[in-house]
Amino acid sequence: MSPNKILKINNLNLSFGGIKAVSDVSFDVHENELLGLIGPNGAGKTTVFNIISGFYSADSGEILFSGTNISKLKPDAINKAGIARTFQNIRLFSQLTVLDNVQLALQQKTKIRWFDCIFRTRSYLQYEQNLKSESLELLKIFNLDQFSTDLASSLSYGFQRKLEIVRALATKPKLLILDEPAAGMNQTETDDLKKLILFIKKNFNLTVLLIEHDMKFVMSICERIVVLNRGQKIADNIPENIKNDATVIEAYLGKRSYVTNH
Amino acid sequence: MINAVMALGLNFITGVANQFSLGSAGFIALGAYTSAVLMKECFHQWYFIPISALIGATVSGAAGYLVSIPSFRLKGDYLAIVTMGFAEIVRVLFLNWDFVGGARGYNAIVRWPQFSLSYIATGLFLTLAFIILYHLKISAFGRNLWAINEDEIAAEVMGTPVSKNKRTAFMISSFFSGLAGAMYAHNLGYISPGSFGFLMTVNVLIISVLGGLGSMTGSIIASAILTALPELLRSLPTGDTDIRMIVFPILLVSMMIFRPQGLFGRKEFWELKIK
Repeated sequence: MSPNKILKINNLNLSFGGIKAVSDVSFDVHENELLGLIGPNGAGKTTVFNIISGFYSADSGEILFSGTNISKLKPDAINKAGIARTFQNIRLFSQLTVLDNVQLALQQKTKIRWFDCIFRTRSYLQYEQNLKSESLELLKIFNLDQFSTDLASSLSYGFQRKLEIVRALATKPKLLILDEPAAGMNQTETDDLKKLILFIKKNFNLTVLLIEHDMKFVMSICERIVVLNRGQKIADNIPENIKNDATVIEAYLGKRSYVTNH
Repeated sequence: MINAVMALGLNFITGVANQFSLGSAGFIALGAYTSAVLMKECFHQWYFIPISALIGATVSGAAGYLVSIPSFRLKGDYLAIVTMGFAEIVRVLFLNWDFVGGARGYNAIVRWPQFSLSYIATGLFLTLAFIILYHLKISAFGRNLWAINEDEIAAEVMGTPVSKNKRTAFMISSFFSGLAGAMYAHNLGYISPGSFGFLMTVNVLIISVLGGLGSMTGSIIASAILTALPELLRSLPTGDTDIRMIVFPILLVSMMIFRPQGLFGRKEFWELKIK
């Protein structure tokens, strides 16, 4: 029985001028899976992410999320459809408090009620109260509630990463896309991150798509790996097979003869 | 006080949402002319002024919404240029429109019968503007705007309808600019296109920046200071050169050097911590 496909990417193409950033890439993400997307620098990983999350629109090809085509949607609509992402370079609202960062993500699920906002009616204050307690609860799960009134920019790097993931979770996604979450982290932080990702995957019933450079990290955590090189998919397999895949090794290290010559 | 309403309007879009607009004067002029013409042609009696002012503000708000649709494809400096262009268009339009007096200006506008009445009405409108804008600032909508201010891309990814929120904020901002314009018209009894030039926008902008972008009370206090200061400085000795014309800019410049975030930064008056 084939597993349920939550995200289907069919024949994606995108060029920037004369450069084919993504050419004919297709892969699926299965429900509740932890899929890794790897590749050497410039392989088009982030471009694929940006297409999925709606920042670029592909020249051709389609993206199906739970069966609906989302390739023409704007980023905010894609988020509402149930895909949340983080960024390679952290993008928190740094001058807002930690709590506000989460509340902001959480409140997008409800419509703004103008009348209530302006006159601060009782039901509105109640709504704000709920929003606050819900956000605090979420922060508490990740031990971030102690910082709730601090500015996001005052957190350490590791905590900022964590907060960004929490913020993405607050939008209640079905699919979480992490763009190089381990970038710039040391060994301990990477280990914590690994635990964190496994924890949220289990407890929030999520599918996770992960872009990463850190091979050890990807190999140890992902259930399946898709490898891109120069905009093309060159492998799609479980980690053990990827490690021994000749084309993947070639993409990362070059041809054997080339290596021995040096 | 009128300056304060103008500054509040601008502060909402520039301070909270970080969309640099230089079109204040255009919206102020729209509000002023609409309300003035309405009073002269339809209402006549002074007690209709508040209604007419609100209609003027609504017209200005609607214009703001229309302007925002194409112009929010642009950001930063480009947005500033487009809004500035809009203000110029409005000014030139009134300048060449004979019905409203053209360059001669529009006079004999219905005024408040007593000065104290105009004072009270302006105060009420200022309070109204402050309450609404402050509540919006600290509401869920305000939080969206702060997020857009910080990082549009991240806000979008979090599901914030960025362009929709920006348009609404611009509309609200121009509504209050228009309201201030109407107040201005009925206080003076005479308006001319010349008074709604770029200088007016700059004045309003200076107030917003001085008070602190994003601080509503800051705008109010800064407008009080900036309106009173040139008058107070009149007492300085005047000779061949008017010293106050030198002192005033020096004060502004030193303000920007020692407190670049404005008087209050983003905080409100009561949020300040006394060190």
